[in-house]
Amino acid sequence: MVEVLQQIINGIAIGGVYVLIALGLTTVFGILGIAHFAHGSVSMFGGYLTFFFVTSWGFPLLLAILIALLVGLMLGVLIELLAYRPVRDANHINAFIVALGLTMMVEGINLELFGHEQVVIPTDFSRVFNFGGVTIPELRLYVILAAALLIAAMTVFVERTKTGQAIRAVAENRDAAILMGVNVKTIPLVVFAISTALGVCAGVMVGSLFAIAPGIGEGLVVKGFAVLILGGLGSIPGAVVGGLVLGITEALAAGFISSAYKDVIAFVVMISVLLFRPQGLMGKA
Amino acid sequence: MKLTAMTAALALMAGAAWAEEKTLDIGVSDALTGGGAVYGLPQTNAVKLAAKEINASGGIKVGDDVYMLNVIAYDDKANPTEASNAVRKLIDRDGVKYILGFCCSGATGAVASFIEFEDAVMLVGNAAERSITTREIPNLTRTRPPADYTGAAAGTFVAEKGHKRVAVLGALDVGFYASYVDAFEKELEKAGGEIVSREAFGLKDRDMSPQLTKIRGQEPDAILVVGYVEPAAFIYRQAVELGIDVPRYGFTSGSEEQFTRVATSEQMEGVWDLRPTELTLLSASENGKAYHANYTEEFGIAPSPSSPYSYDQTYALKDAIEAAGTVEDTEAVAAALRDIAVPDEVVMQYLPVDEKMFDQNGQAYTSNGAFQWQSGNWVFVQDLPSDAAAYSAFLSTLDD
Amino acid sequence: MLNVSNLRVSYGAIEVIHGIDLQVNQGECVALIGANGAGKSSTLKAICGLVPATAGTIEFEGQDITNQSGHSIVKAGITMCPEGRQVFPQMTTLQNLKMGAYPRKDAEQAADVEEMMDMFPILRDRAGQAAGTLSGGEQEMLAIGRALMARPKLCIFDEPSLGLAPKIVAEVGETIARVKEMGKTILLVEQNSAMALRLADRAYLFEAGEIVLSGTGAELQSHPDVAKAYLGH
Repeated sequence: MVEVLQQIINGIAIGGVYVLIALGLTTVFGILGIAHFAHGSVSMFGGYLTFFFVTSWGFPLLLAILIALLVGLMLGVLIELLAYRPVRDANHINAFIVALGLTMMVEGINLELFGHEQVVIPTDFSRVFNFGGVTIPELRLYVILAAALLIAAMTVFVERTKTGQAIRAVAENRDAAILMGVNVKTIPLVVFAISTALGVCAGVMVGSLFAIAPGIGEGLVVKGFAVLILGGLGSIPGAVVGGLVLGITEALAAGFISSAYKDVIAFVVMISVLLFRPQGLMGKA
Repeated sequence: MKLTAMTAALALMAGAAWAEEKTLDIGVSDALTGGGAVYGLPQTNAVKLAAKEINASGGIKVGDDVYMLNVIAYDDKANPTEASNAVRKLIDRDGVKYILGFCCSGATGAVASFIEFEDAVMLVGNAAERSITTREIPNLTRTRPPADYTGAAAGTFVAEKGHKRVAVLGALDVGFYASYVDAFEKELEKAGGEIVSREAFGLKDRDMSPQLTKIRGQEPDAILVVGYVEPAAFIYRQAVELGIDVPRYGFTSGSEEQFTRVATSEQMEGVWDLRPTELTLLSASENGKAYHANYTEEFGIAPSPSSPYSYDQTYALKDAIEAAGTVEDTEAVAAALRDIAVPDEVVMQYLPVDEKMFDQNGQAYTSNGAFQWQSGNWVFVQDLPSDAAAYSAFLSTLDD
Repeated sequence: MLNVSNLRVSYGAIEVIHGIDLQVNQGECVALIGANGAGKSSTLKAICGLVPATAGTIEFEGQDITNQSGHSIVKAGITMCPEGRQVFPQMTTLQNLKMGAYPRKDAEQAADVEEMMDMFPILRDRAGQAAGTLSGGEQEMLAIGRALMARPKLCIFDEPSLGLAPKIVAEVGETIARVKEMGKTILLVEQNSAMALRLADRAYLFEAGEIVLSGTGAELQSHPDVAKAYLGH
């Protein structure tokens, strides 16, 4: 029993990271119908930036994260304006190609600026808490709490604020949203800014809990899309449930079935879910 | 008579003056980027350092000619296709005959499969897959001993420590790591011990807590971590985080710096590394200390423990070329490589077989050591029980 | 209040509105009638900024709003209750209503929500329910309520009775009459010409992208062409 609980705790931390990545992807997809492949690489850029501020400029961790977040917000706006807006009304394949090109570009920039070596954001959190045999490292606990906080903030934002409701409205019915007086040119900017900021948070979490290296962002974005499909395209609760399910499934698969095939098992679970609920766990049929 | 003597002296002087200073291009194919770069980049640097030293002390002397070394290095990303391309480019375009480096087994195996048919000599460094030297390829030598040679010694050592139930967490999809574990298991079982679980991880995995949680549930006496430095560092850290307090043994060959980037020194305390006796400051010979200092000065960073494999290659190549008396005849140089004694300049501690650096398989053997992390450093504790001659004989019986 | 002159609209190379003129005065209910594809809906879309006008001008309260963006036209005071209702299906009834007040910044929005729920009691029962699960008639009430939440000066209804059961159609008609009584100016497009002409002070008859006839609701109702072609007697 302790082992099962421990595995679930193990899975929640990485699941939280998946959720944050998927939240960004799902809002962008919901509003613009774009598969924003560059999201993972952009998120890692945020992690690298935090690492750089902490190690090269000696900034305190929180300040570094805050600056990286602000840069993320601006970067999101720029990506929408410069990369996706010009192809907004064109054939979907154009946006698809822009997304792929952007991925390569950001990966290239990361490699050029931060090198090929793996990077770990240094933190002082090395205590370990023990709850009746289930251990939680301090850093993991903070990551889980931060992810929960961000998910809650995102939910409140979407459900309780006018801008959040406008984002939902545009996702559900763009023309009707225009008739409500929603400016459909500014909403994508807001969405990209928020998604990228969430991505940066995920990048910082990966970078402090594990490591950032070339290719990690691309791997994460694949997981992010898996979560999206598992949870239901464009659904925010779906991203939350899907991310946690994927994270915990991976941990349980590695712990109880086979560590060599944990990714395979996680994808098999995903496919089985889709066989019974093609619209995803929380998607509307 | 005087005139004759003068003429002779003049002729000699002229001859000396005309002894041409030539350039010999040597190639390096190694991982300069990607996951293998932690091994490949330091190896490439080590070849450059050795070449610089050889040039500074007068180059390689072949008959009347003196050759200055020029290093051409390509990035093979530890990838078989890239490595094949890099070596083809070196041979076909750059006209290189001597190729060094080779940190990683997959890429090295690909090149080894065709090098026999080339007018070239291949000197393998850190790649540990056994099959590279089982086919007795005449123009290939390797400075690093195969993984199972070390694995057997490690198994004996851990058994002698009295451990009966060992849990393995390794990059088991990589052949030479698996063979290390197999040889380890054989020795452990001889002493009545057993491997209670074999958990795997991939090169890009950084979260091994699920595997470690499972291992924790099996209550082993010790764990054995076999794999690349970067994931291994996470395993050591996460083992502590999960409250696993049994002895941790490993086969990773990472530097202090590579580990402390991921785990704190406290989290690393007491970890064993059972590996070829590679470079560590505290155990190094005079050569090793000089190498460490020169490398650090040249590249602004400390050398990785395995980087001298390629440094030593370069000196072995020098001795072989000088012994063969030719740079053109690669067959002669390859034959000379298998005949030379261990050069004076090498950093690793080789165990010669029949007084030669490389055996008939082209394989060199170093001693194996047990290193332990103590207050921030890898400390050499003792030699592992290694039998180079017996292993060499065993290697000769294999041919796959 | 609304003054459309010489309006032309094209989809690609095909012109669908060939230069029309129409006016809506303060407090009036004006109906646009005509066959399917006659250009009524395209006219509305051009007024709301959903499709661009290729020629002509649209003035609202003396202000040129031709080819303005959709959201600024809403801000100017024109709200459309679109064809097919177009509620936000996964948002609740309450959230849909609040969405209607999106451009407003005043503090009376909550009071207006109450007012809408008084006006359409069924919406109160369905307040927490996803709008997509409401029946067609309920969705129509929601769409009308949502449009009124913007406190528009001009309220445009595009085919409000389309696809509804006859009993509900009558209810929709009553609702529009009530909106008119509230003093709102109304522009109504309706296939159900009989209902439209009953409600309307004035009406325009569209045929093939042009206005062929205009007059008071009563005039058109009794006009022989209209009676024959659209009212079925």
